[in-house]
Amino acid sequence: MRAFQALLHTEYTVFLRDKASLTFTFLFPLIFILIFGFLMRGMGDVEDARLGLFVPAGVESKILERTVSSAGSMSVTRYDDQPSLQAALEKRTIDFGLIWDGTKLLFLYDSSRVQENYAFEEVATGITADFNLAHQGLSPALTVEKIHVGREAATDWFNLVVPGILAFSILSAGLFAVSGHITAMKERKLLDRMIVTPMRPIALLAAIICVRLAVVYISTLITLFIAMTVLKLTFAVDWFRYTVFVATSTLGMMGFGTLIALLVRKPSSASNIAHILSIVMMFLAGIYFPIEIMPSYLRTLSKALPLTYMAEALRYATGVIDMTETRFWGITVAMFALAVVLLPLLARYVVSADRR
Amino acid sequence: MKGILRIAAGHLFTAFRERVTLFWFLIFPLFLLTILTLIFGNMGQEGEISFAISVVNLESNTAGPVDFAAIVEGVFEETGTASEEGKEPLFTLTHPSDGEDLEEFLAREKEALRLGHRAAVIVIPEGFNQELLERMMRSGSSPSENGAFTIYINEGNAASEMATSIIEQILSGIDRQFLAHVGRFQEEEAIPSETLWVGSGGEELSYVDFLLPGVILMGFFVNGLFGVPGSILFARDRRVLRRYWVTPLTVPRYLAGFSLGHLTLCLIQFALIFMLARFAFRATITFAEPMPILFLLLGAITFLTFGFFIASVAKTANAGMAIANILNMPMMFLGGLFFPIGGLPTFLKVIVYANPVTYLAEGLRMSLGIQGETFSIPLTLAVPVGWIAFCIFVASKRLSWDVKR
Repeated sequence: MRAFQALLHTEYTVFLRDKASLTFTFLFPLIFILIFGFLMRGMGDVEDARLGLFVPAGVESKILERTVSSAGSMSVTRYDDQPSLQAALEKRTIDFGLIWDGTKLLFLYDSSRVQENYAFEEVATGITADFNLAHQGLSPALTVEKIHVGREAATDWFNLVVPGILAFSILSAGLFAVSGHITAMKERKLLDRMIVTPMRPIALLAAIICVRLAVVYISTLITLFIAMTVLKLTFAVDWFRYTVFVATSTLGMMGFGTLIALLVRKPSSASNIAHILSIVMMFLAGIYFPIEIMPSYLRTLSKALPLTYMAEALRYATGVIDMTETRFWGITVAMFALAVVLLPLLARYVVSADRR
Repeated sequence: MKGILRIAAGHLFTAFRERVTLFWFLIFPLFLLTILTLIFGNMGQEGEISFAISVVNLESNTAGPVDFAAIVEGVFEETGTASEEGKEPLFTLTHPSDGEDLEEFLAREKEALRLGHRAAVIVIPEGFNQELLERMMRSGSSPSENGAFTIYINEGNAASEMATSIIEQILSGIDRQFLAHVGRFQEEEAIPSETLWVGSGGEELSYVDFLLPGVILMGFFVNGLFGVPGSILFARDRRVLRRYWVTPLTVPRYLAGFSLGHLTLCLIQFALIFMLARFAFRATITFAEPMPILFLLLGAITFLTFGFFIASVAKTANAGMAIANILNMPMMFLGGLFFPIGGLPTFLKVIVYANPVTYLAEGLRMSLGIQGETFSIPLTLAVPVGWIAFCIFVASKRLSWDVKR
């Protein structure tokens, strides 16, 4: 026990001295929220779209204007001719354009906005349909009443993204924590010295895990706090489930990290593998956009990624989405099982001298 | 000249021997191009997206002239079949089991929606046929305030909003057919709609053509940001540079050789990324014009000098890597390389406008003809040139070529 305490104290001191690790652990989740959150927030969202409209002189446009104004909260800017409308589109002063010459509707899109055009095209389809009815003095007979089912907190894009980013930071911290640290100790020949002492391999792993576990938990709390204060988000956090899940998922990901440490010798290689895994999972786990927009084989892959389930469970624990208790605890137990199986099993192989 | 070439070759060989270098400079850009193209390449296209929905038809009165409810249900059933072999159906529909009470089925589906297993639940209410007929006859005179349909959605599920938008489009098409059927809507008087693509030769741009210039610049950027300070600072800290200085090699000749090696590395990087995009993802853009080549060269030189700048402000190699890591994400993603940057808040736009990556990405895309002029060409050239001048000035004043004794 004294050996473990000494190792714990050492690991704590080492972490505090390591400015790079401190920066990555605490700053990166915030950078991810700010950059990716704002970048991808508007993708596919046409609520604030800007439409440029050109109707030549003498062409009746009242019905069209009424149709456009009832198509949502878009802003509409009128142009005097087609070239100025096209110039505005190219300069991105407007998102898409519409020309009504009395015989047809011509929708103009900026071909370089490949990620957003499909959403503008959907709006255009709606405008065309409504205008066609209105033009013949009709109104839609098949109207729709939409009723929201689920939690109210889930209505903001950031509410969904923040728990996803928390899950991502747990994943990357877990993957890097053991793999990076152990391989660095190997490279510096520190492990060679330690394993000739009576220290048990699992004690060293346990010390690394305890320190990183606390750090990851604090890091997620800081991120959550900033999201709530700076971005003015509301989360109905179930602290018991949140704490249990952050702990078990961090442990589970450290188990995966140990697997990486087993496969590579250099910290840089461990970091590269962890990076690749993190980035693949970040894009495929539905953190920033729904997995339904991906091709089916990527959707299948998404279902095989732990981050998909981690994000889902954290969204539940922060009160954003609903989930059955069985599913939540199933994910939690699976994460814990990963740690329980992988960490003791691999400890003796990972905490060994580098003799290759 | 021989010495310069040897330094260049040395830089190149060192880069290829280092696995980390290979990973970040060659494998990572290729990997990013692949994964982003796979995800976003067909975004929003029918046959590639699929949503789980259910249609609950509560209409029991089918004795009228037309069973509108059955027609609507049938249309959604059709969307549950893929339009082409090998493609996915737009919607995957769940049906009630044999003899299951529809109200119970609806309750079960609403629960599935709440738990995120369904994107939407469409309910055709009891009395729908009669109600719709009346609505159609008075269409235009008194717009209906209440919905004929109910769609249950889950706003906590982004897929739900996307599916709802598609459902509304389908309903709008059905609406028009119904109105035409009862003689209210005249198909021959329908207003057609057409599409005009502005930029990129009047055609819709493929995602890989949009992405490719961004990934190439990202490769150059990472190369300059990590490779340049890494090579210089590690060589300095390990006293490799000190050994150079006892030979007749001068700092300017070393720099010339280093820069030549770096630019060759960029060229190899460009060739590999371009070939992957061209042959694996069928990219169509070509860089064989003076302006794109100028922007590529300008990009490589800007990021090279940016690397010198980092090397000059960092005291050690590790500090240099830490600075590069901190600058990497904001500069890369807030430069418009991969995602549109138009909708960012003001405090992030400051980074966008100060970022040389923004101007290089815009300039390269404009010169390739795949984007309109968001900035003027002189500005997209002037800002990176300004950064080059600034970085060279700082590096010439601060960069130390030997460890401090």
